[in-house]
Amino acid sequence: MIEARGLSYAVNQRSILRDLDFTVERNDFVLVFGRNGAGKSTLLRVLAGMLREAKGEVRLAGRSLASYARKDLAMRLSYLPQADEFALPMLVRDVLLAGRYPYRSIFQKLTRRDMEAFAAGVAQFGLEGLLTRNMQTLSGGERKKVLLAGAFIQDVPLILLDEPLSFLDPASALHLVRLLEALHREGRTIVVVSHEIERFFPLATKMLALQSGALRYFGDRMFSTQLFQDIYGVSFQRITAAGREIIFVNE
Amino acid sequence: MSTNKKLWLLAGTVLLALAVTPFLGIVAIDPLAVLQQNPGSFIFWQLRLPRALLGFAAGGILALSGLVCQNLFKNNLATPDLLGISSGAAAGAVVALQFKVGLTFLGAGGMVLFSFLGALAAILAIFAIARMIRSSSLYTFLMSGIAINYFFSSVIVICQYVFDFADTFSLLRWLTGAIVVAGYREVFFLLALLAIFLVCVLLLRDEFLLVAAGDDFAMTRGLDVAAFRKYSFLGLAVFVGAVVSLCGPIGFVALVVPHVSRSWGASRYRETVIITVLLGGGLLVLADFLARSLLPPVEVPVGIVTSLLGAPFFLALLLAQLKRSA
Repeated sequence: MIEARGLSYAVNQRSILRDLDFTVERNDFVLVFGRNGAGKSTLLRVLAGMLREAKGEVRLAGRSLASYARKDLAMRLSYLPQADEFALPMLVRDVLLAGRYPYRSIFQKLTRRDMEAFAAGVAQFGLEGLLTRNMQTLSGGERKKVLLAGAFIQDVPLILLDEPLSFLDPASALHLVRLLEALHREGRTIVVVSHEIERFFPLATKMLALQSGALRYFGDRMFSTQLFQDIYGVSFQRITAAGREIIFVNE
Repeated sequence: MSTNKKLWLLAGTVLLALAVTPFLGIVAIDPLAVLQQNPGSFIFWQLRLPRALLGFAAGGILALSGLVCQNLFKNNLATPDLLGISSGAAAGAVVALQFKVGLTFLGAGGMVLFSFLGALAAILAIFAIARMIRSSSLYTFLMSGIAINYFFSSVIVICQYVFDFADTFSLLRWLTGAIVVAGYREVFFLLALLAIFLVCVLLLRDEFLLVAAGDDFAMTRGLDVAAFRKYSFLGLAVFVGAVVSLCGPIGFVALVVPHVSRSWGASRYRETVIITVLLGGGLLVLADFLARSLLPPVEVPVGIVTSLLGAPFFLALLLAQLKRSA
């Protein structure tokens, strides 16, 4: 699906990503973790085609990421940043329909296919009551849900998410995780940057650990006390309770 | 009241203002006499009606340019005035006046051309600064725009200083905003520009919504944000330059009107855009009517009227918004 070869990124000679090599396969669910400032968000932005000055190569579906036009890229992947902007009022309906932008040209009205994708997104994410609301007046959980639904309506095989659960209450977080799980089950490839290891660990098929911009681990999901301790400097424990794996920090 | 009803009510009010204000003023004109040959009908057809229409076109373009600026900067205080586009255009026009530039291009006179070039210079300078310090953040754009605004304002002051007295007076008159026109040439020119501007903004609905939402959001939905922003600014230079060359830098319309239209349009794009044009145009027609009839026989520059009325109105609007959100 997407692979990095010798990927490095630096700003003003300060190295942020160092020589990364990895391959994300189709329908992987990758959990990216590491300490604050390890380069997780930068990595995600490079993969999303937001930072195009990176060295090395990123290939998406066998083609160099740099060779994609914006609209072509937007038919293949969607990126959800850590914080959204919406400094001016915008209707939820317009936010969702923006997902169909890559498929349209300037004089083209919305097609039936566009409306079907829109309706499917609204139904799957339960947004019927929010459509004419202003994005700015929604709660954090509702906003995240709308943005994820937008990526669904965009109908892309690869979704990249940066800290999707930040500021969400436990119920909203659980709801969003379920929605992500469903997107993964439908065959999409998901890459999530998150500190909430315990939440995403059960869903992940692969894990990617960054330390000071370098790749510390990339491979199948595994619970390694040593790895977590190396990355975070504190030790973790895993227990199984009520049929679930629970990972927590050992104090 | 539904947004549609508001829209029609507004359109009716604006039409009424356009139809009624030309009859009123220092010389009131008998509506029945305008179809005959007399001084009143001359004043009506050749002076006041074109003046009202020019005011409408200028107000519409200014208000729309404010809305576009605010979308591009994702900041509802951004206007062509703040960014130095207006003062760049004004400086260009002043230079054309000073050196009595006689050249014309495609029927546009020296002042129009130089206004456009001035606005363009302001915008290119903003982009050059952003490139020089390798930053494409909106903050950089905004700050360099403000600096450029000061630069061109001082160019204007220098020109005033070296002008001879008679020229300085007419210059000052124009710089405070003046809708002075005889005949229809400029009127049709500006109305045509307004129509083109409006069609562009309506057609680019998706793009403007995307940039207003945020750069990351827009890019991941497939919009080349940097390129779109660049071309939009070039377009703004044309439209704002044209208005400034004909009417002077009229303040406040670009700032105040989009605030009102956004709330009346209930965040609906097409409605907001149309309300912006109607409200901007209508307000300038009324402001110009006040300008020429408040202190007869003196005409107050319309720019002073818009600022005098606009400032307290804007404050009241902000306070009302704060109260509502509190």
